[in-house]
Amino acid sequence: MAALPHGARRWLEERRMTGLDLPIWLIGMAVALAWAAPFVWMVSTSLKYPSDVMTQDIEWFPRRITFDNYARVFDYPVLRWGLNSLIQAATSTALSVLFGAMAGYALARLRFPGRDALFALFLASLMIPTEVSIIPMLLGFIKIGWASSYQALILPTIGNVFSVYIFRQFFLAFPTEIEEAARVDGAGPFRLFFLIALPLARAPAIAAAVILFTLNWNNFLWPLLVTFDESMKTLPVGIAAFTPVVGTHTQLEGFSVAMAAVTILSVPSLLLFFLLQRYFIQGISQGSIKQ
Amino acid sequence: MTAATTMPDEGAPGLRPTVRAGAGDRRIDAVGYVFVAFFTVPFFLFNILPVFFGIYVSFTRWSIVGTPHWIGLENFTTALHDRWVATAFWNALAYGLIIVPCVTALGLAFALFVNRGYPLSGLARTLFFAPNVVSATVIGLVWVWLLDTQFGLVNHYLGFLGLEAIPWLTSTRWSLVGVSIASVWWDLGLAFVLFLAALQDIPADLTEAALVDGAGRWQRLVFIILPQLRPVLSMIVTLQLISTLRIFSQVYVMTNGGPGGSSSSPIYYIYSVAIVRNLFGYASAIAMLLFVAILVLTLLQRLVLRERS
Repeated sequence: MAALPHGARRWLEERRMTGLDLPIWLIGMAVALAWAAPFVWMVSTSLKYPSDVMTQDIEWFPRRITFDNYARVFDYPVLRWGLNSLIQAATSTALSVLFGAMAGYALARLRFPGRDALFALFLASLMIPTEVSIIPMLLGFIKIGWASSYQALILPTIGNVFSVYIFRQFFLAFPTEIEEAARVDGAGPFRLFFLIALPLARAPAIAAAVILFTLNWNNFLWPLLVTFDESMKTLPVGIAAFTPVVGTHTQLEGFSVAMAAVTILSVPSLLLFFLLQRYFIQGISQGSIKQ
Repeated sequence: MTAATTMPDEGAPGLRPTVRAGAGDRRIDAVGYVFVAFFTVPFFLFNILPVFFGIYVSFTRWSIVGTPHWIGLENFTTALHDRWVATAFWNALAYGLIIVPCVTALGLAFALFVNRGYPLSGLARTLFFAPNVVSATVIGLVWVWLLDTQFGLVNHYLGFLGLEAIPWLTSTRWSLVGVSIASVWWDLGLAFVLFLAALQDIPADLTEAALVDGAGRWQRLVFIILPQLRPVLSMIVTLQLISTLRIFSQVYVMTNGGPGGSSSSPIYYIYSVAIVRNLFGYASAIAMLLFVAILVLTLLQRLVLRERS
């Protein structure tokens, strides 16, 4: 420390970086950057000529760049898969946020017999892993002829308890005065909810929407099981088939094209996260639930 | 379901003007049933009903085209003698033994680091959490490439240490470890954020008092911070144990359970029994065994938490 110029030492002291803090900070930041390295390597590989990929040289920044890999991804029906993913994730998120808000509001603000038992049941259901119901559900959807349909992709994802929980927590802590006033003015419960309560619940609504959209967008097992037609696959399921070499998957393309495909796939989730991480992290740590 | 069916009897419920009459107000907002019905109906249809249907299916022999054939406990006795079931569940335990300690320890370390509020700690927080938001497909494919035996980045840098190339995903010895590495990278974000939230909830005067008393870094960590984190620690360990029991998509994308079942998992096996071998009854029976395992874990955690509080 003593060897540092005066200015640098003051800068460090102002940031409470004394003694062990500086080495801890350097190591911590190095680890944080290393944590992002797989993403950098993904994008870097996606921009390389296939002949430059399978070499022993490590080029973090490719010497020659091509966008051909991205073009080749579009030889597969990725636009259709993307559209399926979007329809599935958007519809399911909108419905679960709306229904979750209504249920959460009722559970926090309205009084009716069986209310607390119902909420206890919702919470208890979190102990049931989705995988238990997934095989019978698949059987059910096949039997009624709904396999490979939007109904099959969307309906099972609506009853998400996380959404109810996050709204209930919000409305429990929310002051009642505004509602009371409107109630005295003769507003019915639906007007109360849609015109007053819901607009005030913007923060939990965004948090729930961001998290549920990402969950739905990334959902893997159920869409994998229920989509038999190539045209009804979602993006993660379709792109999973790009896995080169390993296992018994058909080798569709080389690593450069595979990395272009997953770059396309990860952009929406990462972008949403970077822009809205405040809601993301709040929502996760308040809800403490990951599906 | 009852919520929806009792509704019509109530007329136009809750619409009468109810001015609060003090604390003893006993009004009933029957309209609440309508509010919860929108959520409750799909919840029962798609979260609860399939569980009971699944219990029934697990006692039958059933394939997609055929009709159910009641066979009693046969699926369960078969499962208990199926060495692939045993392999899958032992693998789940191995996944747990690798992933849970790594995610917990690293998640805590990263949270402690970010919580110090150093310069750029916002950036560090973003980077630590980012892998958690992408799809299993992204995680799987990226790590298949990183762990490639010949051209993978991991073996390249291990080579600097004089180590021989490790066939991470293509050998029975390493495939489970390879999948675990990817899983730790993917799962860490959740543990990290939960730890961070818990750290920020620790009252500042607690740590300040310790500082005044001259407690060093380690003393503060061991005697002040860790005891405060105990509930969240227990929650993270259980959540992570459960999610390793449910490990599937990484396995599917990265190794297809192989080679030779060495990286298979309970859900991967359920998937292959149902989809590849078309044995829905048998698949449901194995799912029930998994359900029991998860239930036991969850109840154990509840018990531990209750005893401590």
